[in-house]
Amino acid sequence: MTGYIVRRCIAALIIAIGVTAVVYALLAFTGGSPAVAALGTHANRYTIAAWNKTHGYDRPLVVQIASYISNLVQFKFGYSYKQGQSVGALLNENAGRTAYLSGTALVLALLIAIPLGIAQAVKRNSPGDYIATTATFTLYSMPSFFLGLILIQIFALDLHVFPALVSDNVTTTWEAVTHPMQLTLPIVTLAGLTVAGFSRYMRSSALDVLAQDYIRLARAKGLAERFVLTRHLLRNACLPIITLVGLSIPGLLAGNIITEGLFNYPGLGLLFFDSLQNLDYPVLLAYTVIGGVLTVIGNLIADIAVTVADPRIRVG
Amino acid sequence: MTVALEVKNLSTQIRLSRSVVEAVGNVDFQIDAGETLGLVGESGSGKSMTGLSLLGLLPNGGHIIEGSIRIQGRELVGLSERELRATRGNEIAMIFQDSQSSLNPTMTIGEQVAEPVRVHREASKQEARDRALEVLELVGLPQPRERLGSYPHELSGGLRQRVMIAIALACEPKILIADEPTTALDVTIQAQILALLDDLEERLGMSTLLITHDMGVVAGRTDRINVMYAGRIVETAPTGRLFTAMRHPYTQALLGSIPGLEQDRSKALYTIPGLPPDLAPPPSGCRFAARCAYATEQCREEEPPLTGSDGHLFACWHPVDGPIERLPTIVPPEGATPPAVASANGGGHLLELKDLVREYPVTAGIILKRKVDSIKAVSGVTLHVDAGETLGLVGESGCGKTTLGKLIVGGEKADAGTVELEGKRIFELRGRTLRRARRDLQMMFQDPYASLDPRMRVHAILREPLEIQKIGSRAEQDEMIANVLREVGLPQNAVERYPHEFSGGQRQRIGLARTLMLDPKVIVADEPVSALDVSIRSQILNLMRRLQAERGTSSVVISHDLAVVKYLADRIGVMYLGKLVELGTGDDIYRRAAHPYTDALIKTIPVPDPAVKRADVAIRGELPSPRNPPSGCRFRTRCPRAQDLCAEQEPVLREFDPGHVAACHFPLQTPLAAADTPS
Repeated sequence: MTGYIVRRCIAALIIAIGVTAVVYALLAFTGGSPAVAALGTHANRYTIAAWNKTHGYDRPLVVQIASYISNLVQFKFGYSYKQGQSVGALLNENAGRTAYLSGTALVLALLIAIPLGIAQAVKRNSPGDYIATTATFTLYSMPSFFLGLILIQIFALDLHVFPALVSDNVTTTWEAVTHPMQLTLPIVTLAGLTVAGFSRYMRSSALDVLAQDYIRLARAKGLAERFVLTRHLLRNACLPIITLVGLSIPGLLAGNIITEGLFNYPGLGLLFFDSLQNLDYPVLLAYTVIGGVLTVIGNLIADIAVTVADPRIRVG
Repeated sequence: MTVALEVKNLSTQIRLSRSVVEAVGNVDFQIDAGETLGLVGESGSGKSMTGLSLLGLLPNGGHIIEGSIRIQGRELVGLSERELRATRGNEIAMIFQDSQSSLNPTMTIGEQVAEPVRVHREASKQEARDRALEVLELVGLPQPRERLGSYPHELSGGLRQRVMIAIALACEPKILIADEPTTALDVTIQAQILALLDDLEERLGMSTLLITHDMGVVAGRTDRINVMYAGRIVETAPTGRLFTAMRHPYTQALLGSIPGLEQDRSKALYTIPGLPPDLAPPPSGCRFAARCAYATEQCREEEPPLTGSDGHLFACWHPVDGPIERLPTIVPPEGATPPAVASANGGGHLLELKDLVREYPVTAGIILKRKVDSIKAVSGVTLHVDAGETLGLVGESGCGKTTLGKLIVGGEKADAGTVELEGKRIFELRGRTLRRARRDLQMMFQDPYASLDPRMRVHAILREPLEIQKIGSRAEQDEMIANVLREVGLPQNAVERYPHEFSGGQRQRIGLARTLMLDPKVIVADEPVSALDVSIRSQILNLMRRLQAERGTSSVVISHDLAVVKYLADRIGVMYLGKLVELGTGDDIYRRAAHPYTDALIKTIPVPDPAVKRADVAIRGELPSPRNPPSGCRFRTRCPRAQDLCAEQEPVLREFDPGHVAACHFPLQTPLAAADTPS
């Protein structure tokens, strides 16, 4: 088992380095110039060349990539000329808040989706199942900003229960945690979008398990239905969901861009959104690389979790 | 004697979206304490639904509409779900067919066996664990203490079935319902499990309801048998009476259509025409009338009541008297039309396999897969098939018979050895010559549902081989299709239909028609009838027998069912763990078996004759892993005659009768001295 995890981690590291190289090259080929972005459009050829020389952008692309990666390994993400801060500091400042928002949304989504999916499977083709199906499909097809706007309209503008925007006073992660009212709408928006997909998967997975003979055997043992579901169905039905959750982690990060932008919540998403508008290359690059690495990590965690949860998967 | 279970007038319906199926209708029976009742019928006869009704575990839409179920006088019908739960797994327990899917894959077997104890006995974790250990020991699971923490996939099929029995017995139920408990198992393991059930019944004084389609299984181990057809009990009698003096034509036909080991190969099997009726809604009158040779107007209109005396009841207006006299010969007698043996390769054999070896690599590692071991599926098999001859291959699952079949048709490449068809080495052919050779080697598959493309009409399915081989014009192809359909007994309008519109037996005819399209020299039939019900099976067997005689095609029939192979094959090869251990004519194998494995295999076949004294479990233990086959003779680990020599030296095939060879150091017969060291 340990050997397996070590081997998987090494493979993940190699993939992450590859992803970084590709992202760096892509950004270089888009034709944008970090120098122009930093110096402004009025900068002349000579100042740009001088800037490129001091910041190493005159070197061959391969060398730039190699030095970027070697910096990354030391957790140096470069310097944001626009914001006058190191990218590392910017990420460090915002990552906690984003992790809190995404993490809570993910947990909330699972807490809703797993019981909902199982309930739908148990009561399949009942009015309740149809209503839940309609609701999840509506959520699934809805753009995230739209769901956010609806929630703002209802709960902030009409009912005045929650604030429409996250207050500027919420600056640290700790403050985000201690101001649940401020964070409710962003979390619900993000969770609402994730719940839809998860609960559909959960429903079909639970239906598959319900048709299995061991469910019938569990009933033949005289187990109450509630134990049949919790002891025999739950774990088996959740196996396919584990992979899905792992794969959804980078998606959550993307969902953050819009949700954080909409609610003016200071996190990685908002940082990326602002950087995109300012063409702040080092930040954009770092964010994209993080997205790629998270995908690799999400996959890795899911694979390891599945081997732990499913005794049939032999680890060799 | 006290009555343990009494079922009266039980009727069960299953409501589907558009119709209502009457799965069980007016079923009456009772089981005395310690007695075993057999419930026999084909698929769809309602036998499993009867079992599930007793537990109150009908599938969605199913419910008992009337009747009474009493356990020791206590009524179960009408009890609340809560009260029923207290009975399930406690007073009445059930064993299902497929132990692979019936055990929870993510729960240890210790927990699964302990679960009913915790539910019904309010036992603590420790007490339940102790009880689990006790029952696992009782059902003969080797090293039960070490296995408590094992997961189901870590056990073999036979051991898993023991675990399932342990779950059923954990709370010492009064009634055990065993629904096809051994159908998914090999004959040797089947014998072990059936012996275990017998022994447990005796020791625990349980009453058992044994549900099965296999007359051989019920023959030796039930006190009484109920025969079900289309949701009704059509005949019930003490076991001996049912086999020798049955009164219902269905029982008679069912027993008549099973090929026995004593079956005369020149005689056709008795067949029941048609298919069981659709039960939504059930037909009026006697439900068997449409397929019955004795049916009259009365049978079609009026339903016969279950009547009789002395505990022998039957529902028939025109009862028969005892087993059928065998029908006259349909198949031409042996050797009547043996087509002249092909002399294309100067009098050699049509098909020759030499030292065939096939091993599947076992790999480890994620990025760099390296071979760590191999599964020895076929290890050096030498065989030949002559023109017009049928060779049978038998053995337990995992013995390599299917792999050998694939090697013969060129579906897989051997790691060593050759397959020669009329002197041409199949594995050396490429491109066009290979495609040409495939014409002569065709395969018939086991599963009539999975082997036909559901989106192709029968016409397209049958035309495809001709198309690939570029044979004939459109009109000629149509004519060939029409001829083959006639040959296999399908209507001409079948061409326009899709596979799902046909029954299992008809689909198997389509599969046979497909193999015949190219008029091959050799047909490899892998378990051709094992997915079919008894009454359909005999139709296909007769058809295959007739085609063999008419066309003179050679075939290789692979089956775990020795009776099927005996009926179809001229010569039989017995395989064990990738090795051919014995080869000979049907009589050589069944009457003069030289290898202890062959002998044991024959002794363990359940015979549909209660008078036959059952041998004790002839083979103990399980098939060793094909990754690490035992040294020397591969059978030695399970062989009663094994000695030191068997582990040291691999036995070679020695001749016992002309053409009858076996590989054993201590055979049951005396080998012909002259042929001490052949091959």
